[in-house]
Amino acid sequence: MKSLKTLVIAAALSLGAVGAGHAQAPAEAPAATASATPAPATDAATQAAADAAAPAGDATYVPMKPAPGVGQPVDAGINFQTQESPIGEQAYWFSHVVLLPIITVISLFVLGLLLWVIVRYRAKANPVPSKTTHNTFIEIIWTAIPVLILAVIAVPSIRLLAAQYEPPKKDALTIKVTGYQWYWGYAYPDQGIGEYVSKMLTEEQAKASGEPYHLAVDNRMVVPVGQQVKLIITGADVIHSFAVPALWTKMDAVPGRANETTFTVNKPGVYYGQCSELCGVDHGYMPIAVEALPMDKWKAWVRSKGGNPDGAEAAAPAAAQPVPEGPIAAVRTTAPAETPDTAAGDAPAASPATTN
Amino acid sequence: MTDIAATAPIHADHAHDDHDHKPGFFVRWFMSTNHKDIGTLYLIFAIIAGIVGGVLSGMMRLELAEPGIQYLQGWAQFMGGAGDEVAGKHFWNVMITAHGLIMVFFMVMPAMIGGFGNWFVPLMIGAPDMAFPRMNNVSFWLTAVAFVMLVGSMFVPGGSGNGAGTGWTVYAPLSTSGSAGPAVDMAIFSLHLAGAASILGAINFITTIFNMRAPGMTLHKMPLFVWSVLVTAFLLLLALPVLAAAITMLITDRNFGTTFYDATGGGDPVLYQHLFWFFGHPEVYIMILPGFGIVSQIISTFSRKPVFGYLGMAYAMVAIGVVGFIVWAHHMFTVGMSVNLKMYFTAATMVIAVPTGIKIFSWIATMWGGSISFKTPMVWAIGFIFMFTVGGVTGVVLANGGVDTALHDTYYVVAHFHYVLSLGAVFSLFAGFYYWFPKMSGRMYSEVLGQLHFWIFFIGVNVLFFPQHFLGQQGMPRRYPDYAEAYAYWHLISSYGYAIMAVGMVFFFVNVIYSLVAGKKAVDNPWGEGATTLEWTLSSPPPFHQFNELPRIA
Amino acid sequence: MTSDAIRRKNKRLALVAATIAVAMVGLGFAAVPLYNLFCRVTGYGGTTQRYDPVAAAEEPKVLSDTVSVRFDANVSPKLPWKFYPEHPRDTVTIGARDMTIFIARNESSRPITGTATFNVTPDQAGKYFTKIQCFCFTQQTLQPGEQVRMPVLFFVDPKIKEDVDARDIQEITLSYTFYPVDDGKKAS
Repeated sequence: MKSLKTLVIAAALSLGAVGAGHAQAPAEAPAATASATPAPATDAATQAAADAAAPAGDATYVPMKPAPGVGQPVDAGINFQTQESPIGEQAYWFSHVVLLPIITVISLFVLGLLLWVIVRYRAKANPVPSKTTHNTFIEIIWTAIPVLILAVIAVPSIRLLAAQYEPPKKDALTIKVTGYQWYWGYAYPDQGIGEYVSKMLTEEQAKASGEPYHLAVDNRMVVPVGQQVKLIITGADVIHSFAVPALWTKMDAVPGRANETTFTVNKPGVYYGQCSELCGVDHGYMPIAVEALPMDKWKAWVRSKGGNPDGAEAAAPAAAQPVPEGPIAAVRTTAPAETPDTAAGDAPAASPATTN
Repeated sequence: MTDIAATAPIHADHAHDDHDHKPGFFVRWFMSTNHKDIGTLYLIFAIIAGIVGGVLSGMMRLELAEPGIQYLQGWAQFMGGAGDEVAGKHFWNVMITAHGLIMVFFMVMPAMIGGFGNWFVPLMIGAPDMAFPRMNNVSFWLTAVAFVMLVGSMFVPGGSGNGAGTGWTVYAPLSTSGSAGPAVDMAIFSLHLAGAASILGAINFITTIFNMRAPGMTLHKMPLFVWSVLVTAFLLLLALPVLAAAITMLITDRNFGTTFYDATGGGDPVLYQHLFWFFGHPEVYIMILPGFGIVSQIISTFSRKPVFGYLGMAYAMVAIGVVGFIVWAHHMFTVGMSVNLKMYFTAATMVIAVPTGIKIFSWIATMWGGSISFKTPMVWAIGFIFMFTVGGVTGVVLANGGVDTALHDTYYVVAHFHYVLSLGAVFSLFAGFYYWFPKMSGRMYSEVLGQLHFWIFFIGVNVLFFPQHFLGQQGMPRRYPDYAEAYAYWHLISSYGYAIMAVGMVFFFVNVIYSLVAGKKAVDNPWGEGATTLEWTLSSPPPFHQFNELPRIA
Repeated sequence: MTSDAIRRKNKRLALVAATIAVAMVGLGFAAVPLYNLFCRVTGYGGTTQRYDPVAAAEEPKVLSDTVSVRFDANVSPKLPWKFYPEHPRDTVTIGARDMTIFIARNESSRPITGTATFNVTPDQAGKYFTKIQCFCFTQQTLQPGEQVRMPVLFFVDPKIKEDVDARDIQEITLSYTFYPVDDGKKAS
């Protein structure tokens, strides 16, 4: 399958030779991601036990102050925000070390040719025009060289995509993100933290907390440093888009469907982002703030939210439900009746237990 | 297509024939069936729409010049809406929507295809008129009504304020359950009408180009501008009906309880995006291909050399058109798609750079060895080549799905598509306008004013749009009325750029008025031996009916 | 110039072009069922598969590998229901049938009918996530205060281990969103 994909891409670029390069790409890609995840691939339960045994240096949670130039735009900045995630570093390398020089050279090359032509072949310098209209060799050259350049770009590009789509690890922290008009809701299902709402601070509030207005929020998404974070993203009303530039993360929040994306934060800090899909009047006023804390401080934050940092359901038994053959009826109860009514016949005819 | 004029003995100077009489004013301009008159109507229409769209962008740049919201509420009130904060922010969304739709559907498309296409396709292929002159008239007036409807939608309720605030992409569900009121319906109907007009126009052009060519004018002798219009007509014919279907389903979702794009009833909002961009990406080429054609004519004319690699140029446009239909999802890289699809769309998109590169290098090769005179049309065309290259290479950056993660829906995208449209398509429009102005009006434009217009406009748009790359890389999202302090510097520079560009436009309007009133009389062919296409064999302006005896092309 | 001949030729060509345009409009509308079909076949957008035990030729092979399945529940802001999974996640053996329970409760004082949309993430797992029985296939009516425990029977197709793009998936998230059924809206 991978090789088929490779073939298609290679064929599209009409260059079989690069195929070999592509084929290796997905295999090599995870290196960057893996190195950033401190926990080896242990089973979630073991991890939880280890965490519990570690001395809990629980300070109480105090929202972190953002550092200038980290996780936010800088005054008159012209470059990408400093990348603080492994994917971001890889992507930044690709866009800055591969793409930017290539496109700059191409633009300057075209500019140079134009200037040369303008000077050399102006009517005064060249009163009699040539009548050349064909040169097969040069036409082949200017078709083949762009193809080669694109092939050079395609290898790291495909590699980057493969790295971005590397399935999240088993121990990834799952956060549920919901986009609303016009704020974000975050929930930590495994820590038992129900959804809380994150709204933009007013100008005065932002000033008071020493944060940039338009980016600061009241309740941040808080994640542990070095731990892979998996976001399950959906939209409640219209399409929004969850974006954090410094973490090279952007994923649409589409109503009626869940999307998944991951990031790992390299170092503690506050990383700001903004909604990136037009969602109505206050589209420009529903920022995102991700605060990355060392593990022990993150646990303190979880406790301050009334959650269990070691995972409420970490040790959920596998397949706890007995699985009968054939269809099973939905069980209906009417409040305040506590006893489950097991008779399937009680279900209203309009909504039969579904058998399909 | 090279030496048509030289080898074709053409006697088309029927200008003074007695039967070349024009109908009265009302019949001539309101019931026109003459391709040149309809072309003129389209050009005037496009200039008016361009002023409206340009004023909107000026208002946007004014608001964005510094952080905070300064003018929106007042403007919303001025437009007849409420003067509160919500209405102000809604008006922002209305402006970005209207600016986008007007510039795409009512400025660039009417000017390129309706204006220059109508004027010069029949002239260049030696046809007396378009194949269906009355249908041509219907197309124009449908477009005009559509424009009135779109502008009208800004004054009726559209949810949180007056007007449609959905973005030009009209994404569901913001455009369905997210926007109450008739404004969005009106905007969608406006697109229906404009789309119908363009489809009729496309049928007309295809028929004209295939059936009405003068004897000897084979497909491979056609001027490249005609080729570009032919390819564009096919793109219109294949893409616009899909848009029509997509937005019809928006209308039924809004008004008749269907759930095509509504998860509530099992629909999928992402389907709308697929349909929209299946139209939307070819639409990008619809806007730029005729520009390619115009630039090819001009470069050849002022280099006094035939186009280099004519067949390669023609089929590069065909290739761009074909590939344009299979890359649409690169506009939706962040919507949640599988890695395989993303890799495919990344690779397919990059492929477009190859035929585009062929065109750029062929233009340069056309100039190479030429004897170039730098008249106003030529400087616009050279400016086009460079600016389009810059817009093209940032397109290659955005084509990479992995990089698009950071740049999607940021100002980098805004900068990219303005480089290919505002500095690409619009440069080619100005180039074509100056190139053909003597032919259309019978008078020469002022060379000095034309050059001033170019240089001021060129500096202005670069100051305006280049810093937006920086803003985008720093993470500034699109479609925001307000922004964090850190973005202020480049936003201000960008707004200065708008002001410079606006000064350039003053020279344009002065030039047009001056030339129409007091311009020197233009000769049949003011550009000399380089201008080899058939329109230069006619008088300036051409007779009301031309080619009553078809020219023969050797 | 035989203008009649040209006119006939023009009409014919215009008719062909118009037919193409009409066909493209048709294709635009046909995209709706085609898109659904495409999603079902390829699992695009995390579209899940359905399994009919009666029609199926053979039972899926049970592997020794396991995969974690996360259950995610959303309710439209327009629907005054509580809706949540009984367990937020489960570890299932690939190929083996599993059952989980989702609970919905009508918190309002009127009977309401709701219907659920669903998908799985990551995208490439959709092709392999197979439902045998699900409340999402039909509409649900809940009386005021009524609570319903709704079972979902599913299995993860063992073929997932043969797909290089999907075999490393550690956790599949099954997500539902409940919407009110508006009488005016037809389920398309």
